[in-house]
Amino acid sequence: MHPSLDAVGVTFRFAGADAPALDDVSLRVDPGEYVALLGPNGAGKTTLIGMVTGLRVPDRGTVRVCGGDPTSARTRLRLGAVLQDTAFPRHLTVRELVEGAAVRSGVPRGRAAGVLEEVGLDDLARRRSGKLSGGQRRRLQLARALVADPALLVLDEPTEGLDAAARRDFWRNLTARRDAGMAVLLTTHIVEEAGAVADRVSVIAGGRVVADESPASLTGRLADRTVSVRTALPAAVVRDLPGVLRVEETAGRLVVVTTSPEAVVRRVLHDDPTAHDLRVEAASLEEAVMAATDRMSA
Amino acid sequence: MTTVDTPVTAATAATATRAPSTLALLGAEVRDELKQVYREPAALFFSVLMPVAFFAFFSAMFGGETAGVGGLPVGTTMLATFGAYGVLGATMLTPGIGLAEERERGWLDVVKVSPVPVPLTLLAKVVATLPYCVGILGAMTATAAALGVLRIGVGQWLLLLAALLVGSLPFALIGLAVGARASGNATTAVLNAFVIPMAIAGGLWFPLEMLPGWMGSVAQFLPTYHLSRLALGPLEGGAATGSIGHAAYLLGFAVVAGAVAAVAYRRPAR
Ligand SMILES: Nc1ncnc2c1ncn2[C@@H]1O[C@H](COP(=O)(O)OP(=O)(O)OP(=O)(O)O)[C@@H](O)[C@H]1O
Ligand SMILES: [Mg+2]
Repeated sequence: MHPSLDAVGVTFRFAGADAPALDDVSLRVDPGEYVALLGPNGAGKTTLIGMVTGLRVPDRGTVRVCGGDPTSARTRLRLGAVLQDTAFPRHLTVRELVEGAAVRSGVPRGRAAGVLEEVGLDDLARRRSGKLSGGQRRRLQLARALVADPALLVLDEPTEGLDAAARRDFWRNLTARRDAGMAVLLTTHIVEEAGAVADRVSVIAGGRVVADESPASLTGRLADRTVSVRTALPAAVVRDLPGVLRVEETAGRLVVVTTSPEAVVRRVLHDDPTAHDLRVEAASLEEAVMAATDRMSA
Repeated sequence: MTTVDTPVTAATAATATRAPSTLALLGAEVRDELKQVYREPAALFFSVLMPVAFFAFFSAMFGGETAGVGGLPVGTTMLATFGAYGVLGATMLTPGIGLAEERERGWLDVVKVSPVPVPLTLLAKVVATLPYCVGILGAMTATAAALGVLRIGVGQWLLLLAALLVGSLPFALIGLAVGARASGNATTAVLNAFVIPMAIAGGLWFPLEMLPGWMGSVAQFLPTYHLSRLALGPLEGGAATGSIGHAAYLLGFAVVAGAVAAVAYRRPAR
């Protein structure tokens, strides 16, 4: 069976740009796998999605969707996409736009109703797209991408404009689709939420892949821990301990970033028996992504 | 949003999507385009109103004279000349501006990512100008009848409409070529700057005899001239042998316009 997405050595330079927007990027997504594509603004995420959806053609390298060429209409029957910046024809209604996507993909228009319910637009089915809010437009895009039950779902910032409750439902629906066998590639700047359910995160920065692994393995690579404790001790007490990277002293609290939290905890509790409200936290995925990005630019 | 707790319709392997036929895709595109036309009737109204107002003005002044071909009232032959102006304006501007706007708003990318081939979308835009074209010629015909200067049979009228529609297709390609590169506003400006001088110099507004002699010889080279001559064919009845030459000219123009449009579209925009 083909991978749902197989990009190999993709390189692309915009006309007139000094540096390539994508430099030897490889990325694979298998059926039933959800990969989060993360990275700072301008990293090349949307450009890569342009290659995956057949909007752009790589200068070098290859992109295959379910074994086919994404620039062919036939391959695109298996692809559902939410692009980053799009508007709809404003006089068409929500239902018409979703039914239209179904018909054009060769599935019965009757499927629209179920998908509209799934994304929470069933009450707005008769509204014209020009009268939707930003978050509602996002859901409409998602409904159109899902209606033909594609093998590969590609989402460029699908969470933009969604409120917290809508995002929670979005992640839940996405996982359900993934568990039913759909392959999903998505970009977002809401790193923690994306990572919570992702099988893999692929981090790109400056047009290169700087990490491609499970979220747990990516955060696990960061040995940094943050020790935070309420104490009257001055920062100087821990600053010279082995492994300490940074110390902040704020309103009766010490916040220490260190690779050996045990030494810090031992010293603080020894010097100040009244120290309390002690917390030791692992690095967040967001920090791990930033660290991976920094390693590359360093 | 509600969450799907029933198993999602089996994705991937089970998705036995059969590609819809080209005709089904074109039908879906045309239907959506027409819905948009009918849901914004003001645009339709004003596109029809302008050329029809011109027609009414001129045919009220000269419509009764019988200087027209085959002794027809000028008000009747003006259905071909002003009709050509109105119909080519609609088929040239509407799809071109529509394409430019959809490109700007990102909708064209959505179409490109969908299973619909882009040429089908563009064809649908041209087909969807039919209400404009019928509206324009219909309103001009009604005006001529009201002024008592209409002398045309139903069969002739239908042939006239067909000649205008087919003859306007190369102009639609020019409109699309501009719309593939320029912004919506620029497309509107550029195409208007093309249509009006070409209409005047091609003899669509005033008979060529009324224009300076050199303009008459220039007209022979303009597609607008040949479009109006092609449209006059059905009115002249019987011996309209010249029509073949005009049709051949327009066909050549269509090939050139098609090539220009293809290049304009292929060169990456933005
Ligand atoms: N049409 C274009 N022409 C020239 N350069 C472009 C074009 N689109 C993007 N770029 C450049 O290519 C690089 C990658 O852009 P891209 O849109 O892929 O970033 P991104 O990772 O999607 O960022 P964001 O998180 O802001 O959406 C950027 O430096 C951007 O300025
Ligand atoms: Mg982007």
